[in-house]
Amino acid sequence: MTNQNISDELLNSFVDNELESDEASEIFNAIGRDELLKVRVCELRGMKEMVQHAYHQLPAHKISPLKKPARWWPVYMLNMPSLAACMLLLLLGWGAGWLTSESSRSNSDPKLMRLFQAAQNSDIAEESGNIIVHVSNSNPVRLKTALDETENLLESYRRANRQVNVEIIANAGGMDLLRSDVSPFGVRIGLMKDKYPNLEFLACSQTISKLQKKGIIVKLLPHTGVAASAVEEINKRLHQGWDYVRV
Amino acid sequence: MRILSLFCINGSDAFQEQLEKIRPKLYRVAFSWSHNAALADDLVQETLIKALKNAGQLRDPALLNGWLFSILANCWRDHFRQHRETEDIDELEDYRCINETTPEDEHAQSQLVLRVWDAVAKLPVRQRQVLTLVDLEELPYIEVAAILAIPIGTVMSRLCRARQALKILLKELAPQQSAQISQLRRII
Repeated sequence: MTNQNISDELLNSFVDNELESDEASEIFNAIGRDELLKVRVCELRGMKEMVQHAYHQLPAHKISPLKKPARWWPVYMLNMPSLAACMLLLLLGWGAGWLTSESSRSNSDPKLMRLFQAAQNSDIAEESGNIIVHVSNSNPVRLKTALDETENLLESYRRANRQVNVEIIANAGGMDLLRSDVSPFGVRIGLMKDKYPNLEFLACSQTISKLQKKGIIVKLLPHTGVAASAVEEINKRLHQGWDYVRV
Repeated sequence: MRILSLFCINGSDAFQEQLEKIRPKLYRVAFSWSHNAALADDLVQETLIKALKNAGQLRDPALLNGWLFSILANCWRDHFRQHRETEDIDELEDYRCINETTPEDEHAQSQLVLRVWDAVAKLPVRQRQVLTLVDLEELPYIEVAAILAIPIGTVMSRLCRARQALKILLKELAPQQSAQISQLRRII
């Protein structure tokens, strides 16, 4: 085997230990005979090590460990007897929900509803709860579901005489929710804000700047706060132990 | 919820423990794909939630690693789909912008590391995925093929192209100073 008929793909396989022992032996022999081949292999190995080194130490991830969804979801999948019991409880829950839900629910996003329910249920034993809702999508159905579920959440805490703080933070496409000239929910947000003093709406100032650079005048709904950045705010809240729901 | 958690807390806890152990690996790969700490964490979080949700689909616990990387790859692909559908470029820019100013980025990263990150980030996404799974996780080609749902030949060709491109990019990104130094040495 000579340098010429050893392809790059074959050398990559050699460097990655993908070759059978006889093929690898042939390459070793060829390397012994051919200085250029040795250089090619060294380059590949060096590059591989360089990549490994570069990702050895990474910026620490700030977001709090996975806790809340894990507590209520995998249970059903791992244990069959439990599965039956859980299914029964879920069916009862769904049945009750079905009877009491509003007709508007039919357009809601089920995944999003589950997230809200998880956030709500995980704190059921606690006296208070804190939830940050991140709206980054302009889809009106999802925006409506987010408001519906936030309202349900606030209402259920109020009925139970428990304290809950909810912060709805919008960035990117989700900014449509809080722009007075664009939002289809301006009146509703105003009413919610009046009704629930522990509900805050925040807009991401970076998204506002970007829209302004595009020549778009951003007019926010009354009583909307501005956060330095959505991600910063979310990280801050997660560090403070808040639950996070992304729309 | 308390009633539900009583039924099988042991199984779920063990599974969650396993996920937590693999989490740093997932984060490393997610970071090498996105080069963005917040986005990488978001992707890993989503991956773990999906894994918990679909735990029943994993028949052989020995395949957990590969299964999780497949979910991560899907999350990464979905991220781009969603991004395209909603033209939601701002969001990614938000992450980048924040990432640039975080202390993590500012501290203790050598020029070499930044240069490699820059070069890897410039690779086409599909090449980047293959390269990082092979180099960082040292996964066999066949496993990478399964994770990304592509033929093994495609893994090999993408890896080959990725390394060829990386070699050129690293040369391009190398500081000009070194050339001057070598000239000086020659004069001496």
